[in-house]
Formats: sequence, C-alpha cells, structure tokens
Amino acid sequence: MAAWSERLAGVRGVLLDISGVLHDSGEGGGVPIPGSVEALARLKRSQLKVRFCTNESQKSRGDLVGLLRHMGFDISEDEVTAPAPATCLILKERGLRPHLLIHDGIRSEFAQIDTSNPNCVVIADAGESFSYQNMNKAFQVLMELDNPVLISLGKGRYYKETSGLMLDVGAYTKALEYACGIKAEVVGKPAPGYFQSALQEMGVESHEAIMIGDDIVGDVGGAQRCGMRALQVRTGKFRCRGRDRLGIEPGAEGAHPTPVCSPTSQPNGPGLPWTPSPASPWRPHGCCGDCI
Amino acid sequence: MAARRALKAVLVDLNGTLHIEDAAVPGAQEALKRLRGTSVMVRFVTNTTKESKQDLLERLKKLEFDISEDEIFTSLTAARNLVEQKQVRPMLLVDDRALPDFKGIQTSDPNAVVIGLAPEHFHYQILNQAFRLLLDGAPLIAIHKARYYKRKDGLALGPGPFVMALEYATDTKATVVGKPEKTFFLEALRGTGCEPEEAVMIGDDCRDDVGGAQNVGMLGILVKTGKYRAADEEKINPPPYLTCESFPHAVDHILRHLL
Repeated sequence: MAAWSERLAGVRGVLLDISGVLHDSGEGGGVPIPGSVEALARLKRSQLKVRFCTNESQKSRGDLVGLLRHMGFDISEDEVTAPAPATCLILKERGLRPHLLIHDGIRSEFAQIDTSNPNCVVIADAGESFSYQNMNKAFQVLMELDNPVLISLGKGRYYKETSGLMLDVGAYTKALEYACGIKAEVVGKPAPGYFQSALQEMGVESHEAIMIGDDIVGDVGGAQRCGMRALQVRTGKFRCRGRDRLGIEPGAEGAHPTPVCSPTSQPNGPGLPWTPSPASPWRPHGCCGDCI
Repeated sequence: MAARRALKAVLVDLNGTLHIEDAAVPGAQEALKRLRGTSVMVRFVTNTTKESKQDLLERLKKLEFDISEDEIFTSLTAARNLVEQKQVRPMLLVDDRALPDFKGIQTSDPNAVVIGLAPEHFHYQILNQAFRLLLDGAPLIAIHKARYYKRKDGLALGPGPFVMALEYATDTKATVVGKPEKTFFLEALRGTGCEPEEAVMIGDDCRDDVGGAQNVGMLGILVKTGKYRAADEEKINPPPYLTCESFPHAVDHILRHLL
C-alpha cells in the first residue's frame, strides 16, 4: 500500500461535505462532530484551498452558515456551494417557473424566482413538508404539463440527524419519477457539473482536489467520477453494509482505495489534518474492519 | 395443442367481471349457478387495498351472488398469508377499512412493513419509521404498486410511488403480492389443491388478470366488460386463451369445451 504522501501528492484544494462531516443536524440545530471544529481550523491554516460542497436543501445558505459559525466553525457564505442558488441560476437561464416542493426554511433562496403558472417542479429536502397532499399536488402539476420537468436538489437516500437516520429527497424524487414516468434532473452531488462549479470557484483542477464526505455515492463516487480523489469519513450516515451493497470501489485510479478514517487526528504538517489515527488504521478496502 | 389436465378450478375476478360497481353483469348470477353445478372449485379474486372480505361479501350478497367468505381471495389475503408464512410482526400502512383482514396478527414491536394505498399514513414521520425498520433488515411487503388512481378531484398517487421511495432509500426490493404477481395466483389456488395447469382465470384486465394467470400456467379468459378496451387482447403475449363477451359466455365455453 502506497504511503499517504504519495496518494495525496499534488492535492491543492479540499472540498468538504457539511452534514455528517462537520456536524449532524437535528433538534436545536444539531451538534458538531467531535474534533471537526479544530480540524477545519488547522486545514484553513494550511496551504490548501478550502471550499464547502453541500447538498443541504432544508436550510438556506445563510441559516446554515450562521448555525455552523455558532458552533465555532470558520466558514462564510461565499465559501459554500449549495444546490438552491445553483438551481435558481438554472431556472432563470431556462425560463422555468417552479412549483416548489420544499421546506419553508429554504423559501428565501427562491425569493427572486417567478413561481406563477408553474411549468416545472422543484423538489428539495422538504422533511416534514413531504405530506401526501404536498406530494400529490406536485404530482398533479407534473401530470398537467406537456413537457414535465422535475428538478431535484440532490438525490440522497438518507442522512443522519441526531435522532437517527432520515429519508432524504432522493426517495421522494424516485416516487414522483415513478408516478409520472419521467426522470428528474439532479442539481447537487453527485452531478458532475455541480462538482465542476465548486472546483471553478476554488480555482483548482479536479486532479488537484480531494473531496471529503460521508456519502459513498453522492460524495465519494461522484467526486471520483470527476477525476478527484475522495476520502470517506466514518461519521454521519456512513454504514459499512451500505457501501458493500452499492459496489462502489473507492479509489479513482482503481489501485488506490479511498482511506476511511475519523476526523480526530494527529497533526501531520502540510498534509491533511484528517489522517488515520494509530488506533484504527485503514484497510485496503477502505473499510474500518470492525464490521467485516 | 398439448393435452391439458382436466379442469378443476376457476378463478373469477370481481369488479369488472362478475359485477360493475353496484350492478351485476347481466346473467352472471345464473351463470355462476351453472358453474357450481359442476365439479370445479370456484374462487373469487381481486386486487384491493381497502376493502375487507366482509365488505366484498356484503356487496356480492346484495347482488344476489351465492358466495361464501372462504371463497374470496384478495391481495390483502395474500399479504396476510405472507406475513404468517414469514412469521413477522408487520407495521401496517394500510387503510383502516382493511384492518379486519389482519385480525389476529401481532403488530406490536414490528419487524416487517406491509404497505397498501393509505394516504393518511404516507406522511413523513410514518414513512421514516418504516424506512428505519427496513434499513434494519425488515422485509417490505407491497399489496400492489399502482402508480396512481382516479379520484373525484383528479389523479392521485397510488401506493407504488411510496414503495419505490422506500426501495430506493434502503436499496432493497419489495415483495409485491397482488395481481399480476405469480405468487398471487399460486396462493389463490393453494386452498383448492389444484395445480395452475388445472385452472382457468376469468377477468377484464388483460395484463393483470389474464396475463398474470397465463404466466403461472393457467388458461386465461378475457371478458369484454369492465375496464376492457378494444384490442386489449393484443397487448399480451401469448394472447388470451379466449376473449369473449362476458362472464356468462366464459362459463358457457367452459361447460362446453373444458369439462
């Protein structure tokens, strides 16, 4: 197995997932993941460029950043790539007027968008607002359209909150796809365009970047398909069973498995703050070994 | 044509075949009497997620059909049988009116999920509960996967989309128990002691009734009542064994050619 320094050679920028990496959301705003505040601070002090790449679509960017700063994270709005602002650009470009199936917490992101006489549906992580009635209304809108367009902010299966695992937007998007016989357009990870725009903002090429996330499909798989390296953390929604079943082999070049580790770490000079602690070395399959 | 074994059982669809909503198909009661005069066993089968056997029986009795409860087999019965077979305790996401068909089944501390058309249960909290059970390995049993149905105020989401949502979120597959699944027909025949090759299905839905039955080795008779539309018989391959006007015509054919 190649040494860390080899495997991380040429990394100039780090894309960080937020939920499951920095914090777990939940009641009262959620909790920071132990060690993450300090780890982010060390990362920012290093030579590496840092950007946040999230699929968060229940809270506005402003609310999310406010929450994280309150926990002590060094983060600002212009460092965050989030799906709602990206969606608004697309809606404006294509003259789309959306019926919004969203959580109220994100409505402010769509304040400048014309929602009259909708000619498409935008679905995000609506959480409690995913009632049968709201789903049915979105379904009926799509069925009335000659050219039904469904835009989904991410397509995650589930995420972790402090109370446990929660159904994510992807499940509800699948429901509407099946009901209407259509395919949604995804804005957010793992769509390549989404990663590309984050890399562009950061001023780094994909081969010079590494993505850190808890979602094997959305974060790791998606990043690797864009030519980035990726690192999976064992926090948030990470589950060993899920990874094997989905058959994603971490390691963009095939020979280099993505290391799996926890964010608490030893300082490692110019390298990443997230390195495997001696107590739990990563294995070739990138699995923690405890659950095999 | 290969020699078939003697006909021993007839499965009859309900709504659209024996009756259309609250009116019997003309001549159906009499045709049923004639069928009962033979040695064949008769079973009445339907995909329902919200009518208990009692409800169905009451309607049929009002229309003067001579039928007993244990001759009725529904997709709810199929779900119940599967739950009993697997010896699981289901979280029941079904219409309240369907609950009588699950009487006696333990539902506390659930380790399975049964899902039918139940809009009142499809809100986030409940689906999330179901999702967590499934993620822990509980089996998912779907009464059927209809995409949508017709309501007074237009189209409305069926159970299918919510089954898909749970399948996607947990990366598992539901066991679907209603027509046209093979298990539905096999289960319906189980009580008769007959093999599929010794049975005939009569129904108005080409894919779900006839196609499903023929897929399991039965003969299928398509009747041109209920939801039948011209040229429906061309939609399945192989085509129906017989396409005829209505249930009484189907019974005529059986008495004349299959017994």
